[in-house]
Amino acid sequence: MAIDIFWRIPTHGEPSSLCNKLHHRGDWSQQEGDHIVHRGLAGGGSDGFNSLDYIAEVARAAEISGFHGGLIPSFPMTDEPWAISSFLARETSTFRFMIAFQPGFLNPVTAARMTASLQRASNGRALFNIITGGGGPAQLWWGDVAPHDDRYARTTEFLDVLRGLWKGGSYSHHGKFYQLENAALPEQLLGQDFPEIYFSGSSDAALVSASQHADFYLSWLEPFDQLKEKFDKVKEKTDKLGRKVKCAVRVDIVARATEEEAWREVRRGFENLTDADKERYARFAQQTGDSVGANRQRSNTPKNLDNYQDFILHPNVWSGFSLLRGGQTNGIVGSYEQVAERLDDLVRLGADSFILASTPHLEEAYRVGEEVLPLLQGHSARNSVLRAVG
Amino acid sequence: MTIQFYWQVPTRGDGRLADAAVKLRGERSNDQPYFTAGVTDPRGRQFNYYDHLHQIGKAAELAGFDGLLVPNDPQGEESWIVAGYLTRNTRRVKVLAAFDSARGSAVYAAKNAVSYQRYSNSRFAWQIATPADAAERRANGDFIDDADIPQRTEEFVTVARHVITETGYSFKGRFFEVLEGGFKGPLSGQAVPQVFLTGQTAADLAVSAKLADVHVFGALPLAELKPHLERLLELSAKARRPVQAALRIDLLVRETAAEAVHDAARQARQQGQTALPDQAGLWALQTPGTGAARATLVGDADQVIATLADYAAAGIRVFQLGAVPALEEAYRIGEQVLPALRARLGLTQQQAA
Ligand SMILES: Cc1cc2nc3c(=O)[nH]c(=O)nc-3n(C[C@H](O)[C@H](O)[C@H](O)COP(=O)(O)O)c2cc1C
Repeated sequence: MAIDIFWRIPTHGEPSSLCNKLHHRGDWSQQEGDHIVHRGLAGGGSDGFNSLDYIAEVARAAEISGFHGGLIPSFPMTDEPWAISSFLARETSTFRFMIAFQPGFLNPVTAARMTASLQRASNGRALFNIITGGGGPAQLWWGDVAPHDDRYARTTEFLDVLRGLWKGGSYSHHGKFYQLENAALPEQLLGQDFPEIYFSGSSDAALVSASQHADFYLSWLEPFDQLKEKFDKVKEKTDKLGRKVKCAVRVDIVARATEEEAWREVRRGFENLTDADKERYARFAQQTGDSVGANRQRSNTPKNLDNYQDFILHPNVWSGFSLLRGGQTNGIVGSYEQVAERLDDLVRLGADSFILASTPHLEEAYRVGEEVLPLLQGHSARNSVLRAVG
Repeated sequence: MTIQFYWQVPTRGDGRLADAAVKLRGERSNDQPYFTAGVTDPRGRQFNYYDHLHQIGKAAELAGFDGLLVPNDPQGEESWIVAGYLTRNTRRVKVLAAFDSARGSAVYAAKNAVSYQRYSNSRFAWQIATPADAAERRANGDFIDDADIPQRTEEFVTVARHVITETGYSFKGRFFEVLEGGFKGPLSGQAVPQVFLTGQTAADLAVSAKLADVHVFGALPLAELKPHLERLLELSAKARRPVQAALRIDLLVRETAAEAVHDAARQARQQGQTALPDQAGLWALQTPGTGAARATLVGDADQVIATLADYAAAGIRVFQLGAVPALEEAYRIGEQVLPALRARLGLTQQQAA
């Protein structure tokens, strides 16, 4: 079994490097007068281009460079993955659209029709990252009143309904969250591949839901032993149901020709941080929400934020990424060979798929596709180790 | 005065009028080869109906329509996916997606709509309609009572509008709830999609006067339509907000009236009708395929132009036109009807998007 590698789509702009804080690709820059780039890149210009044109370039860079597709995240400040996928279906060829969405936000019949239609529009290139929401006030911002564990029950039921509809024929369902009577997908929308399901969430409730529906259980990068424990747990739960689940990791990387160059990039980004950036980070690190996954990410914050080296958890694993660009904290830093080796380490402890990301996503898609992916052994690495030992 | 012309994009079966079986153009199936074994077919499975939808979108834009109407047909492709697909591949036309108020979270719909607006220079619009038939609704996972539909539509539009236009917005209704909602940064300040609502009842008109930018009437003879139209304009004046009137009507236009009547009669017979009109005019004829209008205007170009001009004179400001096959007829109507009709109404060529 070979591993699948995805890229990530930046849905709220990005800077031209980790050392640069101006998000001028896309129109998210807060800075007045940030006109160093052409309007087309900044978005919303009168020349007919907008930030989707940059996203389209990233998607094509990913498909040209050998990625299966890209994770398209959905947060309050981002553009939306359903929109991006339907808009870009025609101008991409092999790029698969991994749509992050919270099932609670859509009527499952609508979602089934959208999914089947998108499969037809894209020749079967839609898949999901099922997310279930961090909870707290953010959930009500989205208009969702359901509490944490209920949301996972709803996610499970939603996916049950989606699969029920997908089979074709008349489908009725009387559940806790959904009722349907004689629902059916039309002939025209039947026979499409069911979207592969990546599933994110770290709580026990999440694992229960994932064990029933996930093709890939997706986690942020965590310290390796911790991650292995998590993967083992979800595999054990899934085995009990007589299903098989694979595991996937979302990893930020900085890969350069030499390790020294990679760390120089990180150090420069770190030295560009202001005190305000660090205070914001420290405040975030102390928060606790009802997202178990986010709390696990926060648990490795060093006491003092003066030296980038204090964020090194393992060789080549750095936990300060969210300081530089928001999002998850842990990532891999090193030479092309080292990054490939760490990823192969993750394969050995249970990963079958990666969603990689590096800033800026356009140029780095080429770099990673050309320099790192060819070095990856995947599961053949395990075999060669066994042979060497034997 | 501006008058806008939308072209309906069929989300399923589009084909030649005289074809009894509606086909999915561009689509091949392995079990039913399209050509005989004696002829090679280079197409394989490389194309499907979306390639044809793309052609229709382009045709309508090239032929001078102002917008595309993507109907919400439970038997066809999903309207938002089609709308996104067509929007990216057109430059100027508005793209009006029809959908149901049981679609899901109003905030999520609004947030998706904001991306559509950002990616299209604000060409996205909404037509919200919920099936009158309760069984159809239940098949859509929607167990709402008839009497509650207007309230839900109102809450949906209200929440969507506010989260698009402001921040710190809270709302607690019967169907939707939001706390401190509203889009920030570049997601703020986007145009709220124009809201089209439909229906002929007093309740429908009252909701439209309160919420709609455009109210869409089904095709009726002008004399029958007029009282409804006047009622809408009255309610809109009373509510002090302008609501435009739209007419959803299908066309069957031919070079001569005789040809149009001949084709209309053939189609009516295919549908099992026996008592047929024998002249041009508004026929109770349903165009096959998606989202047929309740009637079809049959005639030569001059006759059709004259009738549409009468509707415009009575106050219709948006025409939602449809015909099969959608690609060919978009050109026919774009060439033979729209320019002369616009000239007659004193309009310049198509409105800027
Ligand atoms: C790889 C990964 C990607 C995620 N992407 C998103 C996202 O795009 N949008 C979002 O709101 N939450 C996202 N999440 C958050 C989780 O789906 C989930 O809502 C959160 O972890 C709370 O669930 P938990 O308490 O079970 O961890 C992501 C999580 C992971 C691990």
